[in-house]
Amino acid sequence: MSGGTYLEPASLDEALALLAEHDGAALVAGGTDLVVGTRQGKRTLPETLVAIHRLPDLDGIGEDGGALAIGALATHDAIERSELVRGRWTALADASAIVGSPATRHVGTLGGNLANASPAMETGAPLVVFGAEVELRSPGGSRAVPVESLWAGPGRTTAAPGEMITGVRVPAPAEGSGSAYVRLEYRRSMEIAVVGAAALVTLAGDGTVAGARVALTAVAPTIVRSAAAEAALAGSTPTAEAIAAAAAVVHDAAAPISDVRGSGAYRKAMIEVIARRAIDVAARRAAGEGIPIPATMTVGGTR
Amino acid sequence: MSHTCTLKVNGIAYPLELDAGRTLLTVLRGELGLTGAKEGCDDSECGACMVLVDGRPVNSCSYLALQADGREITTVEGLAKNGELHPLQAAFLDEGGVQCGFCTPGMLISAEALLRRNPDPTEEEVRLALGGNLCRCTGYQKIARAVLAAAPGS
Amino acid sequence: MATAAETKFIRPDGKDKVTGLGRYTADLTMTGMLHACFRYADHAHARIRSIDTARARALPGVFCVMTDKDVPDVRYGPFVEDRTLFARDIVRYEGEVVAAVAATTPEIAREAAALIEVEYEELPVVSDVEAALEDGAPLVHEGWSGYLASDDVVRKGNDASRSTIVKGDVDAALASADAVVKERYVADMSHAVPIEPHAAIAQWQGDRVTVWSSTQVPYIARSGVATTLQIPEGHVRIIVPHLGGGFGGKCEFHYEAHVAALARATDRPVRLVFSRSEEFFAPDHRREGQVLELETGVMKDGTIVARRGRLILDNGAYSADAPFFPQLAAMHAIGPYRIPNVSVDASLAYTNTTPSGSVRAPTAPQACWAVEQHMDSVAAAIGMDPVELRRRNILKEGDTTATNQVLEPIGAAETLERAVELIGYGKDLPEDEAIGVGVGWWPSFGGPSGAFVKLNGDGSGTIITGAQECGTGAVMALPLLVAEELGMRPQDFSILAQDTDAGGWDAGASGSQTTFNNGRAVIEAAREVRAQLLELAEEELEASREDIELVDGMARVKGSPTKSVPITKLAETAQGDRLLLGKGSGSPPPAPDVDASGCTGRLGMETFAAPTFITHAVRVRVDRETGVCRVLEVAASHDCGVILNPVGAEGQVEGGVVMGIGMAMLEGSIIGEDGRQRNPHLLDYKLQTSADAPPISIAFVDAPSPYGGPKGSKGTGEPPCVPTPGAIGNAIAQVTGARVHQLPMTPERVWAAAHGVEA
Repeated sequence: MSGGTYLEPASLDEALALLAEHDGAALVAGGTDLVVGTRQGKRTLPETLVAIHRLPDLDGIGEDGGALAIGALATHDAIERSELVRGRWTALADASAIVGSPATRHVGTLGGNLANASPAMETGAPLVVFGAEVELRSPGGSRAVPVESLWAGPGRTTAAPGEMITGVRVPAPAEGSGSAYVRLEYRRSMEIAVVGAAALVTLAGDGTVAGARVALTAVAPTIVRSAAAEAALAGSTPTAEAIAAAAAVVHDAAAPISDVRGSGAYRKAMIEVIARRAIDVAARRAAGEGIPIPATMTVGGTR
Repeated sequence: MSHTCTLKVNGIAYPLELDAGRTLLTVLRGELGLTGAKEGCDDSECGACMVLVDGRPVNSCSYLALQADGREITTVEGLAKNGELHPLQAAFLDEGGVQCGFCTPGMLISAEALLRRNPDPTEEEVRLALGGNLCRCTGYQKIARAVLAAAPGS
Repeated sequence: MATAAETKFIRPDGKDKVTGLGRYTADLTMTGMLHACFRYADHAHARIRSIDTARARALPGVFCVMTDKDVPDVRYGPFVEDRTLFARDIVRYEGEVVAAVAATTPEIAREAAALIEVEYEELPVVSDVEAALEDGAPLVHEGWSGYLASDDVVRKGNDASRSTIVKGDVDAALASADAVVKERYVADMSHAVPIEPHAAIAQWQGDRVTVWSSTQVPYIARSGVATTLQIPEGHVRIIVPHLGGGFGGKCEFHYEAHVAALARATDRPVRLVFSRSEEFFAPDHRREGQVLELETGVMKDGTIVARRGRLILDNGAYSADAPFFPQLAAMHAIGPYRIPNVSVDASLAYTNTTPSGSVRAPTAPQACWAVEQHMDSVAAAIGMDPVELRRRNILKEGDTTATNQVLEPIGAAETLERAVELIGYGKDLPEDEAIGVGVGWWPSFGGPSGAFVKLNGDGSGTIITGAQECGTGAVMALPLLVAEELGMRPQDFSILAQDTDAGGWDAGASGSQTTFNNGRAVIEAAREVRAQLLELAEEELEASREDIELVDGMARVKGSPTKSVPITKLAETAQGDRLLLGKGSGSPPPAPDVDASGCTGRLGMETFAAPTFITHAVRVRVDRETGVCRVLEVAASHDCGVILNPVGAEGQVEGGVVMGIGMAMLEGSIIGEDGRQRNPHLLDYKLQTSADAPPISIAFVDAPSPYGGPKGSKGTGEPPCVPTPGAIGNAIAQVTGARVHQLPMTPERVWAAAHGVEA
C-alpha cells in the first residue's frame, strides 16, 4: 500500500485549505474505515491524505446552550464514557459502546463514522432520533444540516467537495424523555448491526407518550425514521401491547436486503423485534428506570 | 513519496522516511524489526497486531504509521523491564494462558490497556476488554484467569 | 519426587511467546529474499485455453513467473494422485494455483500476478454434493479412472471414496422396532482458522533446500517437496519455527515446493506469506460439509436395535487425506453405542470448492452433531429422558462395536454421569434456558515416531525429536516424561524439535498422536540413557544396577541414600569416554482385533484404537424472538486414559469446547452459485470472542488403556470439539421445541425452525 502525499495540518483552517487545494484529497482521523477498506481492496488509498487526528479542539464533548456539542474527533470510547452523554443522550452511549472492538472505539471517531455513511453505522439512528445537526465547514464558511440529510446512500454523503464535518450539535430531549439504541448481533464483541433501532420517547405527566422518534439501522440505504411507528406511539400509553403495535408498523421505512449476514425475510421480521425492544427500553428509561448501557447487552440475545 | 517522521517505540526514538500508505504494523515489523505484533487477518478483526498508542489499544494493521509520529507506542517487546517479566506475562505463563502464542502479544497489550485504566476488573470486564483479540487455541478461560491474577487490585 | 502428572508445568517455549521475541515463519527474513505471490484460478471450474506471462515478467522487480510447465510432471496425493502443483489444463476451484511470481517486494509480486493473462473456457460448476453424485453430473475429474490410487479407496466418477459399515440385518430390526425415527441433517463447510496464516521460506545451499514452513507435518512436507520436485528426501530439510496454531489446516504438504521451486529458479531465498482471505480459499484442509440421513429403530425400553445411515461428505476439488473420511464418518454416525444392526453407506463427493482435509477430529463434530440430536429425537419418540437413553446404550468394557471390536476398559459411561452431574442436569431453569447433552468418541492413532535423548558433559540434556509443537504443549511436555525416567528435572532438558534433518520421523501434530507415539519414543530413548547411567553408576557405587535408582538428580543405592553420586558427575565421566546418547522409536501398541467383513471401502477407520470418550453438557439460553443463542456454561467430561499434563489437557478441552461452540453457532462458509466462498474473512466468518466463551468445568475420567500411549494415555487434542455442537443443538431444541437441522445453527436458522419458516 504505497501512498502519495501525507499532510498534517496544524489547524482547521489549514486543513480546509489543503482540501480545497488538492483534488481527490481525503481526510483521515482514526483510519479504521479508510485503512481497513484499502487493505481489503475495497478502495484505493487517495493520492493525498490530510491527517486531522491532531487538530486541536475538535474532540470536545460538552454542553452548549443546553444542547450536546461533540467534536468530529471525539472517539467512541470518549462518547461512551461521557457522563453527559450517558445521562441525557443515552441512546448515543448505547451505540458508541458497541462500535467494533475496544481498539476500534479508542481510535474511531464520530466524524469518521458519519462520513463513512454506512447504512449499518451504530451512531446514526441515535443521532437521527435526537434531531442532531451536523456542522460542515469549508473555506467559505459553515453550514449545519440535519443528520439524515448528510447521507445520500451507502458510503456517500451530501457534503460538498472540500467540506469537512467538524462536529454535531444534538438538541436536548424534553423533560421526561428516555432513549435507547438496540442492535441485533450474533456475538458479543466485534459486531456490526444486522438490524438496529433507536428510539426517543417523551412521557407526559400522565404517563402517556407526548412524543416519540424511531430510527432504523441496516434496513435501508441510509438510516431512516419510521413515521408510522412514531405516529402509533404518540398519545398512547406505553404498554407492552402499544409498543408492539407501534413496532409492527416500522415496515413503512424498512426495505432490508439479503446478504451473507442474513436474509431480507429474516431482517424484515427482526426489525420489528428490535424496534420494539428499543422503544420499550426508551419508554422505561423515560419513566425513570435505570437500564444499563449498552441496552443491546441488557435486553438482547447476547446479554 | 517519502515523509520524514520519528516513531517512539518502547521508549526508543526511530527516525524514519515512510510512504504515506505504510501501516504502523508493517513499519514495526519491517524497519524496526519488532515482530511481536502479528498480522493475522485482512480486516482488523483478530487483534494480533494490537499495540498501545499513548496507552490506548490500537489495531496497528489499520493505523497509518505517519499518524503515530510523536506518540508513545508500546509493543509487547516493551512490557518486560530489565529482564523481568511484566506481571501479565508471568501470569499468562503461570496460568497456562499461552498455547501457540500467536495471539499472545495482542492479548497482553489489550490486557495492559485494561489494567492501566481499571486495576480491579471483574471477569466480565476482562472478557469484554479482550473481545477484540481472537484466540483459537485456549478458549480464553486461562487467559481471563491470568489477567485477573495479574490485576494490581486483586 | 513429583511425577510428571503432579509437577506444575510451565511450558519451555512460553517465555519466547509472551515476550514477543519468538519467531514465527513470517517473522523471518533472509538476505536477498524475494517475495512470492500466487495467481489463482479466475473460475471455480474452467479449462485453461492459454496463459501469457509476458507482461508479468516484464514488470521491473519481477524475477520469475512459474507455471505448470516449469515444474516436473508429477501428480500427487496421499490416497489418490489427482493433484499437481500448478493447474494443468483445468482449474477446479477458486484457490487453485495457476502461476507463481517471485519479486523484490510483495506489492510488485501481487501486481505481477494480476498482470498474468489467462484465457478460460468456463465449465459447469459442481457445488452441491447430492447433485455431484447424480447420474449425468458434470465430472470434476474427467480422468479420475486414470489416477494412481490406493487400492483400498473405492472410487467412481465424482464419488472419490465410498465406504460402508454393515452388521446384522438392519431391515429386519427396523421392521420389528417399537419406534423408528428418520431424520436428515446438513452441515456446512467450515475451517480450522489458526490465527497465524500459512507462510514458508525456501533457501537453497547447493543441491539442498531448507524450507522454513508453518506446517504441522514437516516430514509430509519434506516428502511432498521431494516427490513433486523429483529430488531425494535427503536433499530437503523442513524446519518449523514457532507455529501459530494449525488445527489440521496446516496438516498437509501445501506450498513448500512452490517456494522451493521459485528459490531454485531465482537463486534467491523466497518467502510466501498468506493473507487471511487466501487462508480461507486456497489451502486444502478445510472441514467438509456433510449431508446425513439417519434412521434408527428403538424398543420401548430404550434399547436401540438398528441404525441406518446415508452420508455424503464434500471432498472439494482434490482428494487430500479425505478418502478415509467416509469410513470414519460412518463410525461416528453409529456413535459410541451398542447397536447390533447397522448399515451405513458413506460417500465422498468431488465438488468445485476448496479441498477438504483433516481438521481437528475430522468428520466427528458434524456427524456427532447430527447423531446426538437424532438420539434426542429417538428418546422423545419413546418418551424417555435423553440422558437415560444414552445410559442404556452407551458402550462399556467388553461390548462389541459395529466392526466387532471388543472394547477394553473404557470410561464412556462415567463421562456421561460426571458431565450431567457437573452441569446440574435436571435443575430448574428459566424457560428460555435448557441443558443439552452430547456424547462422542474418537480413536487414537498409533504409528512410528522417533526421538533421541542426549546428556551433555555438565549433566544438562537435549531431547531431539521430529515431533511438531503446534501450540498444544505436547512437545513442550516431553521433558516431563524424560525427566521422570532419569530422576532429573524437566527444566534440565532443552528441546530440538520439528527439524527433519535432526529428529526421527514423526507424523506431526495430527491425529492427537504426539504424546501417544512420540511420548513412547522419548521414553524409550530416555531408558537407553538410563541404562547407560546405571552402568556408570555401578562402577562408581560398587553396587549392581538393580539396586540403584535415579532420583532428584542422583544415582543412589536403594535404601542407602548416602551411597550416591550426582548424575552430573556421571555425565562428566561419560564425556571423556562413551557419550550418553539414547534413541527410541517406540513401537506402536498392537491394534485391537476387528471383524469388518461386512464392510467395504476399508481404510483403517474400522478400528478405534485406544478410543477416547467425551460427554459435553451445555446450558444454553435462546432468545426465541431472534434465534440468538448464548452458551452460558459447559461441563466437559473426558476419558483420555490418563492425564500426563493437566494444564495442557485442560487447555485442549477449553479450546476445543470453544471451537465446538463456534462450529455450532456461527462458523460456516457460504458458497455462491459460482463455487466461491462468499465470506472468506473474519468479519463474516465469525469466531467466538472472549466475551462469548462460557465458563467451562472439566472432569477427567481415569481409564488407562492397555493399548495406549505412555502410562495408558490416549489422544487428547482432537476429542474436545466433538460433542459440543450436538449438545448445543439439543439444548436449543428443548427451548424452542424445534430442532435445527443445519449446521451452523445460526440465529436465522434457529428462528426459522422455531417459527416453522424455511431458512
